[in-house]
Amino acid sequence: MKSKIPITTVIGSYPVEINTEEIIKNYYIQKPISWNKYIKSAVDDMIRAGIEMISDGQTRDSFVNIFYRKIGGCRIRERPEVFEKIRYTGPITIDDQKYVRSIIPENKKLIGLLTGPYTLSKSCVDLFYHNEQELAFDFANILREEAKNLQKYVDMISIDEPFFSVSMPDYAKDLIEIIIRDLKCPIRLHVCGDVSDIVHDILEIPVDILSHEFKALPKLFDVFKEHSFNQEICLGSVRSDNPVLEPVEEIVNHIKKGINVFDDKISQISPDCGLRLQPRDIAYKKLRNLVKAWSVVYG
Amino acid sequence: MFSFTKKQEIIDIADTQIGGQPGYLPTVLIGGLFFKGEPDYNNAKKQIKKMYNLSEKTGNPAIPDFFIRKEEYIDKIIDFIEKNIPKNKPFSVDIIEPDLKIKTLETLSNKKLLKRTIYNSIHVGTTEEEQKTIKKHTPEAAIIVAFNPKDKSPDGKIEILADGAGLTDKGLIKITEELGIKKILIDTAAMAPGDYSGASIAAIPVIKEEYGLATGCAIHNVVEKSKWVNTLFPAAKKPVDAASNLNISLFGGDFAVYGPIHNSDLVFPIIAWEDILVSEYTERYFGVKPVEYHPRRKFFEK
Repeated sequence: MKSKIPITTVIGSYPVEINTEEIIKNYYIQKPISWNKYIKSAVDDMIRAGIEMISDGQTRDSFVNIFYRKIGGCRIRERPEVFEKIRYTGPITIDDQKYVRSIIPENKKLIGLLTGPYTLSKSCVDLFYHNEQELAFDFANILREEAKNLQKYVDMISIDEPFFSVSMPDYAKDLIEIIIRDLKCPIRLHVCGDVSDIVHDILEIPVDILSHEFKALPKLFDVFKEHSFNQEICLGSVRSDNPVLEPVEEIVNHIKKGINVFDDKISQISPDCGLRLQPRDIAYKKLRNLVKAWSVVYG
Repeated sequence: MFSFTKKQEIIDIADTQIGGQPGYLPTVLIGGLFFKGEPDYNNAKKQIKKMYNLSEKTGNPAIPDFFIRKEEYIDKIIDFIEKNIPKNKPFSVDIIEPDLKIKTLETLSNKKLLKRTIYNSIHVGTTEEEQKTIKKHTPEAAIIVAFNPKDKSPDGKIEILADGAGLTDKGLIKITEELGIKKILIDTAAMAPGDYSGASIAAIPVIKEEYGLATGCAIHNVVEKSKWVNTLFPAAKKPVDAASNLNISLFGGDFAVYGPIHNSDLVFPIIAWEDILVSEYTERYFGVKPVEYHPRRKFFEK
């Protein structure tokens, strides 16, 4: 139908069923606990559904805690806390990407997920900086170190900044530019939520792909129509906040609507956001229907 | 040696007191039985008698901890407890399998022994079925194992206690309280050497300062897994095992789960010695006067 065919991919986190009984039994016999089986369960679902660009599913933790847990100066107690100047102390997500690469077929692509610096600065208790901007810039510099490493192992990096839709700071573009400066792999910026009022600012950010919740918020089509831009689009096409399974036909119509607005700027078809809050079978079926709809439109 | 700014709870389980500021109560020593093989009840009687005698001598309260590995052992071990543990003393049941935990609670309830029972333990793997049974047959006290597979540091242990680290819907303390257990002991979850083993000791003051709850651990498990000691210095294994418990008292802890109970002859005097050391400082610096049965008073200041 189109000369340029987008690929199917995912956003953020994927549901996981953790066997805590097994975990505690391993503790009692002091057997090391590996998270690989949980990563594999998410990856296997994505492959089985036919997704082309796979992620690790962020099963290890919440999308923010994955980072707080490994950034020096952060700790997680009842909530994540920053208690001293933060610093990069070594790879955060890279071991999981290496593992995913080792278990996916060669024809599948891999996307690395970074939670954005602004979201990290807004999701913790700041006991040290007492200056949100300074904290966000320090997170950006840390994520830059991670991104420099990460690009060696993935085909694309997604920077996920849900907090931009809550309060877009004046320095948003600067934060993202710190991370992506000199990177060689393509970059996607995912901002979920209602971005109607900040589309102009988001379009100023020099990333390759913009990802938004077009299925839950179809009014975004009208907002984007008002702008001209160079970035490609990752079209959110099934809802992540609702367990109701969209029929393939509905997704097909949504993609066609997207094509009418964006034409061949659409380079990715994905869920609106991470599916972690959905039951695993629903999450899988949403991905499966997404791929089926993609086949109908582009097959 | 230090004092906590957070008010420290003291719990009373069948006339045995646990918790408080360092130097006030002697460290409670919980000795493990029946880890391996068929339970040897005759030997257990001797070991428990020896433990109580040592407790009498030093002032450190003694609690036997019965490891129940198989369903067929439940009735016999509980019969043994009923007949051999004095009615004014607590005991602990240490069980891994959820099914066995459920059956043990039911049996303890039938025998009317729950008021003296320390349930060892509640943790991230505590099942819904087990929780229903605990609500119905509620033990007097429970040990919470603060094991967080995502973060073995003291902060990670706080995380699992406070919010469950994404592995349970709520923090383990909240879960335990909602099950109706009012007397809580925190086990800081000793890890094998090389797996952040020191964090279980460092976590003791962190958890006491955060919650004020009675806190300790089974640090002897680290020695069990220290192959280099066991293979290169076999004669040192028992002293090292017993001495490892010193850390608990020194870091402000309230109880040591030591094992096996055969180590009582070393553990009691070692911990009494350390308790005296701690008390001498904490009374002079912080004004914490030890209770009458504290080893320092037994041996030095009547």
